[in-house]
Amino acid sequence: MAGPLAPTRTPETTVEETADLDRPWVTIVWNDPVNLMTYVTHVLRELFGYDEPTATTLMLQVHNDGKAVVSSGPRERMEHDTSRLHAYGLWATYQQDA
Amino acid sequence: MRPFRRKRDDVVARLEPAEAGVLGLLLDQLEQLLTADADDVDGDPVMARLLPAGHRTDPEIAADYRELTESALRAGKTDDLAAVRASLPAGGGEVRLDPDQAGAWLRTTNDLRLALGERIGVTEETEPPEDPTGEEGQQLAVYYWLTALQGSLVDAVAAGRAGRR
Repeated sequence: MAGPLAPTRTPETTVEETADLDRPWVTIVWNDPVNLMTYVTHVLRELFGYDEPTATTLMLQVHNDGKAVVSSGPRERMEHDTSRLHAYGLWATYQQDA
Repeated sequence: MRPFRRKRDDVVARLEPAEAGVLGLLLDQLEQLLTADADDVDGDPVMARLLPAGHRTDPEIAADYRELTESALRAGKTDDLAAVRASLPAGGGEVRLDPDQAGAWLRTTNDLRLALGERIGVTEETEPPEDPTGEEGQQLAVYYWLTALQGSLVDAVAAGRAGRR
């Protein structure tokens, strides 16, 4: 039988809610059949300042796995990153990290 | 076409008169799409590709995003298009671009390929047309011509970055 000091479920829920708020947002680039691989690499370098190997790895992840997380942070910044990618015609979305 | 190559800080290509003419027509069509009333292009898959949803599953977030960004994105694409038109020799000839103009050409040729690719249903398996005479063959030939043009521009611009380091 639980005594008065036994943990209740309340703290757990609080922890989960806090964790939910703290979960970062991410910007995802999705594969599409039109964008050139060289162009995707160029855009990732240009917009995020990634070096060649990092940008190439992310581009290949998009190409082979269908998507890649290209940046993470607060929601407003992911909105902004998504719109910068849309300006270059990359297929991007943002969401709270799963 | 002589594809883009780097010359000091610029990139330079040469277009045949017919190529410059086709590119001019494509720019007109893209401009019509970008400046159309929202109601007229609502549900158009090309517009959905040029101005995609910001969130895949949450319609509220997607609507917020559109409200926040769409007019600036449209304006940016229209400005790029105007910069390309201004640096395109109408009768063909040399195209010489400084870094800002090259950026506008990169984005606009990409938008043209996205629009055309969506209209003709390009997939990962699509290949250049064996017969470029029918309407479909012609569109596909134009798509691959744009791909070669943009591909050379990406390489020329990336070569400039390598040279700066």
